[in-house]
Amino acid sequence: MRTEIPEEEYMCSGHLACPGCAAALSMRFALKALGEKTIVVIPASCWSIIAGPFPYSSLRVPLLHVAFETGGAIGSGIKAALELKGDEETTVMVWAGDGGTFDIGLQALSGAAERNEDFIYVCYDNEAYMNTGIQRSSATPYLSWTTTTPVSRPKGNPKKNIIEIMAAHRIPYAATATVAYPEDLVRKLQKAKEKRGFRFIHLLCPCPPGWRIDPELSIKVSRLAVQSKVFPLYEVEDGERYTINLEPKGILVEEYIRLQGRFAHLEDREIEEIQRNVDKAWERLKKLARL
Amino acid sequence: MKAPISFEKEAQMPLIPLSVEDIRWNKTGSWRYMRPRYEDKTPPCNAACPVGVDIVGMMNLVARGELERASRLLRQENPLAGVCGRACFHPCESQCNRREFDEAVAINLVERFVADYGMGGITVKPKRKTGKKVAVVGSGPAGLSCAYFLAVMGHEVVIYEALPVPGGILRVGIPPYRLPKDVVEREIKAIEGIGVKIETNCRVGEDITLEDLRKRYDALFLSPGVHKAKDLGLAGEDSEGVLSALEFLKRVNMGEEVSLGERVLVIGGGNAAIDAARSALRLGAKEVRMVCLESRDEMPAFREEVEEAEEEGILIENGWGPRRFLTRRGRVSGVEFVRCLSVFDAEGRFSPSFDETKKHRVEAEGVIVAIGEEADPSLKEVMRGISWQGDAISVSPTGATSLEGVFAGGDIASPLHNIAQAIGSGKRGAVAIDCHLRGEEAREVLKRIRVGGDGAVSMIKYLHPEERERSPYVVTFSDLNPQYFEYAERVRKIKLLPFERKEGFEEVVFGIAEEMAMREAGRCFSCGVCNECGNCYLFCPDISVLRDKGRIARKIDYDYCKGCGICFVECPRYALTLEVEER
Amino acid sequence: MKKVLTGNQAVAYGVSLARVEVISAYPITPQTTIVEYLAELCADGVLEARFITVESEHSAMASLIGASAAGARTFTATSSHGLALMHEMLHWASGARLPIVMVNVNRALGPPWNIWSDQIDSLSQRDTGWIQLYCENNQEVLDTIIQAYRIAEEVSLPVMVVLDAFFLSHTSEPVEIPEERDVERFLPPYRPKFKLDVKDPHSFYLMTPPEYFQEYRYKIQKAMERAKEVIKEVDALYASNFGRGYGVIEPYLCEDAELILITTGTVTSTSREVIRAMREEGRAVGLLKIKMFRPFPSEELKEALGGVRKVAVIDRNLSPGVGGIFAQEIRAALSEDGAPPRLFGFVTGLGGRDITPELISQAIRYSLEREEPEGRVLWLGMRGEKEVIL
Repeated sequence: MRTEIPEEEYMCSGHLACPGCAAALSMRFALKALGEKTIVVIPASCWSIIAGPFPYSSLRVPLLHVAFETGGAIGSGIKAALELKGDEETTVMVWAGDGGTFDIGLQALSGAAERNEDFIYVCYDNEAYMNTGIQRSSATPYLSWTTTTPVSRPKGNPKKNIIEIMAAHRIPYAATATVAYPEDLVRKLQKAKEKRGFRFIHLLCPCPPGWRIDPELSIKVSRLAVQSKVFPLYEVEDGERYTINLEPKGILVEEYIRLQGRFAHLEDREIEEIQRNVDKAWERLKKLARL
Repeated sequence: MKAPISFEKEAQMPLIPLSVEDIRWNKTGSWRYMRPRYEDKTPPCNAACPVGVDIVGMMNLVARGELERASRLLRQENPLAGVCGRACFHPCESQCNRREFDEAVAINLVERFVADYGMGGITVKPKRKTGKKVAVVGSGPAGLSCAYFLAVMGHEVVIYEALPVPGGILRVGIPPYRLPKDVVEREIKAIEGIGVKIETNCRVGEDITLEDLRKRYDALFLSPGVHKAKDLGLAGEDSEGVLSALEFLKRVNMGEEVSLGERVLVIGGGNAAIDAARSALRLGAKEVRMVCLESRDEMPAFREEVEEAEEEGILIENGWGPRRFLTRRGRVSGVEFVRCLSVFDAEGRFSPSFDETKKHRVEAEGVIVAIGEEADPSLKEVMRGISWQGDAISVSPTGATSLEGVFAGGDIASPLHNIAQAIGSGKRGAVAIDCHLRGEEAREVLKRIRVGGDGAVSMIKYLHPEERERSPYVVTFSDLNPQYFEYAERVRKIKLLPFERKEGFEEVVFGIAEEMAMREAGRCFSCGVCNECGNCYLFCPDISVLRDKGRIARKIDYDYCKGCGICFVECPRYALTLEVEER
Repeated sequence: MKKVLTGNQAVAYGVSLARVEVISAYPITPQTTIVEYLAELCADGVLEARFITVESEHSAMASLIGASAAGARTFTATSSHGLALMHEMLHWASGARLPIVMVNVNRALGPPWNIWSDQIDSLSQRDTGWIQLYCENNQEVLDTIIQAYRIAEEVSLPVMVVLDAFFLSHTSEPVEIPEERDVERFLPPYRPKFKLDVKDPHSFYLMTPPEYFQEYRYKIQKAMERAKEVIKEVDALYASNFGRGYGVIEPYLCEDAELILITTGTVTSTSREVIRAMREEGRAVGLLKIKMFRPFPSEELKEALGGVRKVAVIDRNLSPGVGGIFAQEIRAALSEDGAPPRLFGFVTGLGGRDITPELISQAIRYSLEREEPEGRVLWLGMRGEKEVIL
């Protein structure tokens, strides 16, 4: 049994996530890491539905559903109230999708980060607006298919680097994590919980319907993302100190890409281009980690 | 599934929309079109073991430090585990899936550790007495095994052994540096300890007849072994100083004097030849040379034995066939060989070809002929009424001979001559006899309790059919998910240094310490058999893998399982099965 | 204690006396000095509140939604574009039944840019489920803010307190500031009816299907209906504690009036002068001030108007395509009468244009001289025009 992960569950079965949903599993891990004194804020996203309709909940902690772009602002407000009341123990966790973080929610995110508001912001990134039916976001990877970037004109812009954006805000802690590495994910959330100030976690969450993969491959794809360096696991403290947590095996990007239907239209030279981009980004990250 | 809460009117609804109940009433299992289930399958090591030992089961227990349980598990399938842990040719290791990852698990060494644990004092309790009596002929591995299992099943067993000491080739064939006498004695004592009687110095055909045995006993198991050495049929073979490996080893193991002179020549390329050569060296020969037909790669002896022999300074010459014994004053002085061009023909049959012009003379004061053994031809007279097939007793797949109530096993009844096969056949025979005594058809029973596809059977399956079922599908490396395995060096076998070995008959290979055994057992992938690693539980997005007091219950909560299949893919060892949901 | 305060300063005092706990605001002319005064009060420890300097008005309201849901008494202020930007969150705050109090300084919406008094910003938000209270002077502003918290926390609806840009926000007037402990007695600390609490976890504002949604809107309407009574009660209680009450509407010299002029905000003060002067001249004219716009005081209006034959409404706002918004709402409220008064709807003062006593007189004379208005929208004080035009 893998012992570093706390046993207590703060989520129950019966929730409405699609089979194989990594976002559901991520929440399960996140709450195990943070424990019962946690208030969860959910801007409009898949989790607005997963959590359950009136009058039911699938979480054992308080949960505030909020408007799409307000994650950063709501977190700030709740924390202000708690502080006023002298509550130092309750953790506030905003749980926003990539839409509510990279795009419509970017302003509020930036505001909260710049003010160094004292809460944990988790972006569970399934790389498109999945809840509304797989439309592209600025987190959608280069050349991916989505309903608004069809195969005849797939997404032509690279994925926004949200950790860089957060690092530029000089927040105390930013980190990437994903479901295939549960101990790492839990450790990072627990580490974040111990810190003060604005903490940002970027979770890569494979989405079977959106990425066009079999649900059983959710964890495998998450792992390949890390091992192929597409999604490196690393931390940035105070915007300056970069720590890479895992030296990937260096699997070719092709192995990761070929498993996903959203990339099925890719030609070899496009995959090569992606490989070059990934390698370049990795080199850059390594340089930052060496500073 | 009907939602449990329904507000009848606005006045009953809370001030704001909030949750008042959790969503567990929503049985998402109805979404499923694929269904996972726990299904243990057969690991390749278990399938390869001729004895039918649950190797993976044993490994999992050792890895967890449950050494007594491991020991008991081993004893339930193999009464001679200490012997196997030293002298078995470990086909399990050749099939171990880990060899495709880094190195095969050192099953042999771990088995030895477990067998030696508790000084072999851990035993199996026999069942209630049945009142039936069975006689076993021969106390070699097959006979001992059969007797042991019959006694476990509650029958009264007597073994008739021709030699003054029990054990067969374990005692008089394999030299002590490979298989110490005290180990053999210890295991035989344990077998006697559950009620088996051994009558030594009793040869069937001389001291007692087959007919007597048939009258006095409810069933018979014949496992006299093959103890006649094959001879070359060359002139001078009966000179002084020439003897068969069988005879030589028997004398050495019985503590009798054997003098062979300074230079010893061993003819043959099998294990017996190596045993003879290495024993001769330890008895003081200055030069020991092995000459055989086979090329180095074709030599039937265990490769490790060959290497150890060479380390000890034994010279091996490959590709020569003996033509003439050279004698001087009635005593052998050497052998003349001719070049062997090939040993096997196009169909792989033994059919050596020679170049008679290329000769090679080897001088020696002692010559040991180690070209194989066969059944004693007098047995055919002794065991009248039984059908033979060439030199072997003809047996059905259940071990039954042509005589009612008479079964056979071990080397006498099979072309495969190795200890593991013998022990396995003894177990099969015991089950067949038990069925016979209860009036049940043995063939189907043996099929039901088999492990792998080669006839090995599990006693645990026979006595406890309700215990964890395993599908007969043998798991391959490509079935596994190796992402969860880390490279780890295989435990190194520690041996006496070559110069230390020659001084006597001390056991060459050391056993391993408990920590090493546990660590090595931890390298086992547990192919096809759930060992509660917890991946399924951890990765289920719907929290539908059930636990029971902290341990994985190996149960899926089908009320909620959506059939995503993550548990199936992330199981490192293919211990789940994913199938289409039947509705 | 009496002080000379601008409207914005009065707001700051009101908020401070109400012991607000979380303030979140974004500056926009002419609200900025509210934010500045409050920041100073918080920094000096006079007001023990958390002040979040958010990055936009949308986030200002969003953060208060979070803070209020966590059980804190909250405040923000904005104007014009800021309020418009908050629009989505205004719906959310009322749907969430959170007792947030906000001051809106009425300012025009561009383009073109215009920072002066205009009511279109708050009136555009009339469907968002917020209680709206319009103030005539700085004293009323301070008093209304204190009352607003009691009202909001009682009915669980957010309250918007409205004042005119520059005419109030930046104009100094004498204001009586109540004593802290008197306010404490009148307005106890906030005790939420529900809140985010790890000891009693719930999921709030979750997806609600058609089978239940309507009932939640019903609840809000009922709360609004109840709010009317609560507002009156709170006002009466405030009057008995502090000697100042305002009612939800205020008739002035309306007895036997032939024509009643209806106004809101600072225009009311100017109108009082005009009406008094006209009464002295023997004209049968009266004035009705509307303070409570949401919920709309239909019954009170009808009662106060009696059977008056004519009504003139001054709208410092325009809903393009229909005219003045107050006029529209009043018309709707009176339409159920058997013989509603003729309504003269005047639009004037947009973008801070001065509504002078002359213009008000012009409007009254126009209305007195005609049986009916010549059009639905009567424009007052247009450039180069000496008369009302259509």
